[in-house]
Amino acid sequence: MRTVALIGMPNTGKSTFFNRLTGASTRTGNWPGVTVDLKSAKILLGAEMVEVIDLPGIYDLQGYSDDERVVRDFLTHNSVDLVCLILNATQLDHQLSLALQFSRLDVDMLVLLNMADEARQLGMQIDTELLSKVLGSETRLLSARRGDGFPQSKDAITQHLRQATPVQLGAAVSDFGIIDALSGEVEALYKRSVQAPSILTPGITERIDRVLLHPWLGLPLFFLFMFLVFQAVYTLGTPLQDGVAWLLDGFKQVALEPLAPHIPRVVYGLLVNGVYDGVGTVASFVPVIILFFFMMSLIEDSGYLSRAAFLMDNLMSRLGLDGRGFVMLLMGFGCNVPALMGTRVMRSRALRLLTMLVIPFSLCSARLQVFVFMTTALFTPHQAPLVLFSLYMVSFLAVLLSALLIKGRLHSNEPFVLELPPYRLPQLRQVYFRGWHEVRHFLHRASKFIIAGVVIVWFLTHYPVASPPGGPDSFAGMLGQFLQPVLSPIGISAQMAVILVFGFIAKEIVLGSLVAMTGLQGAALSGYLSGHLSWVQGYSLMLFILLYTPCLSTVATMRSESRSLRYTAFSVVWALGVAWIFSFAFYQIAQRF
Amino acid sequence: MEHAAFLSYLTPGERVYIQDIQADESTRQRLHAMGLHRGREVQLIRRARFGGPLQIRVGSVTLILRRREAGYVKVSRCL
Repeated sequence: MRTVALIGMPNTGKSTFFNRLTGASTRTGNWPGVTVDLKSAKILLGAEMVEVIDLPGIYDLQGYSDDERVVRDFLTHNSVDLVCLILNATQLDHQLSLALQFSRLDVDMLVLLNMADEARQLGMQIDTELLSKVLGSETRLLSARRGDGFPQSKDAITQHLRQATPVQLGAAVSDFGIIDALSGEVEALYKRSVQAPSILTPGITERIDRVLLHPWLGLPLFFLFMFLVFQAVYTLGTPLQDGVAWLLDGFKQVALEPLAPHIPRVVYGLLVNGVYDGVGTVASFVPVIILFFFMMSLIEDSGYLSRAAFLMDNLMSRLGLDGRGFVMLLMGFGCNVPALMGTRVMRSRALRLLTMLVIPFSLCSARLQVFVFMTTALFTPHQAPLVLFSLYMVSFLAVLLSALLIKGRLHSNEPFVLELPPYRLPQLRQVYFRGWHEVRHFLHRASKFIIAGVVIVWFLTHYPVASPPGGPDSFAGMLGQFLQPVLSPIGISAQMAVILVFGFIAKEIVLGSLVAMTGLQGAALSGYLSGHLSWVQGYSLMLFILLYTPCLSTVATMRSESRSLRYTAFSVVWALGVAWIFSFAFYQIAQRF
Repeated sequence: MEHAAFLSYLTPGERVYIQDIQADESTRQRLHAMGLHRGREVQLIRRARFGGPLQIRVGSVTLILRRREAGYVKVSRCL
């Protein structure tokens, strides 16, 4: 098997090229010497199977960031047949430095100057023959977005592989020359090989920025866009969600329930009431998650995300976070899981861990559903929206306090320098690939976790005594009793404690478990809640549900993204602590009035 | 601005040349990789309000950076 490494700076369209080259057959996997998953795909080129690896975007082979280390480690410990270097043709004054660095390495290289169409529009002329000669590697023009030059590039890769020999670079990757010495060379080579109009006109991007980054209009516009994105996700997503739930329920009635008399009750209970219903509840949220991912990759592809970072960075820097962290927090209001995965763009680990620590406080859509039900049951129609609003405020407050308290320990000195790419019309093809990749990743992880979780909850509530499920004589009930010393100071009864155990798996199950526990639905359940909980107890319960661990999927994502069990455990304990303190303070004070 | 100043003090629209980057090695390397090194021409495009980041243009690339990082970059009006 041949190996091709795709390398380039961020925002060069490297992933676009990767997607075009490999189709949808990507996987993520481990590589020797590298601590993060890399995207790769096996394809047939000519007569040979070739594995193409999409390495993270880097500015410099010698840099100190995590991504740069990943690329170096990969090249040190793995043998590659061909380095395919993707450069942005419109930014060769910057990007030739990376090409010159690689030209000193003893590995076969193909240089692709991507976005050739944009370069042409800017009036640039690039002498690829001269570049090929100086770099010692074939250099060609490409537009990965539009596909111009793509078949030729693919052929060129095939040609190179025919003669290539695998090279493992070893220590050679890390030690060659001082980067300062290159800058003169870059400038000289750029002047010889590229003819560009002396002053590039500001163009459409600068004109859009004048409005979107306007000192006064910038922020309001940003919030308006975010609001519209959420509206779109939930307006489109809710009917789809109901549809999936309806289909799953229909299948259960038609195909599963008739089986009940023919299989042992325990097996039926576990498989249908446990696994099928549990997984079904989560599955009904998949459409919203898919939409969310597509929306986010749409925004990402347009170039607006880094503008949001510009607008919010000042406030966030006071919390030890940065502008991108704010964008992730907003994403967390939809679902915490993609927001956690989005922190991958951060280069400093301390910054990333701090951001991931505060994201779970974002009031996600699953929690919203619980709160809407409870506020309606416990408060008057006039009070309910205000109560809900106060929960959003508490969510922000928890982020603020946590970041302020922890920032000293997760201090990042990483310089904040970010490229603002030009605005581009999002390409559906690219949005589709990005979105689909993330969705598959999510489903893969979620399915493992949720089936296990659901089986455990079913067991806890049905053994040793099943009537009623989760009642005082079941394991879950006993757990509730056991937790009383901790939960009674915040006004949560043994029975409600069981709900918190369910809520740990997923907030989506909270309402369902209330139904199963009380045997009541709809208005009757509302009546039950208002009869059994004072408003103070109810609000304390909601505070706790808002702030403690959002769901197992979040914990699993936290684990796989941080690659640290210790950090994951800390974040769970931290959230529990914050939840308990908020509830305790509220309950103890409010009770006295 | 006859003599050297720092990038963080420029007014929007001003074009200057980088004289020196006065920071520790890793920051210097990072700024260098983003295209900020001696001799490059830089233009300040805008500042975010309340002491937020700066938007600058270096050659063909638009960057944002915090005032702290801009304070490392010594610039002057002529080469």
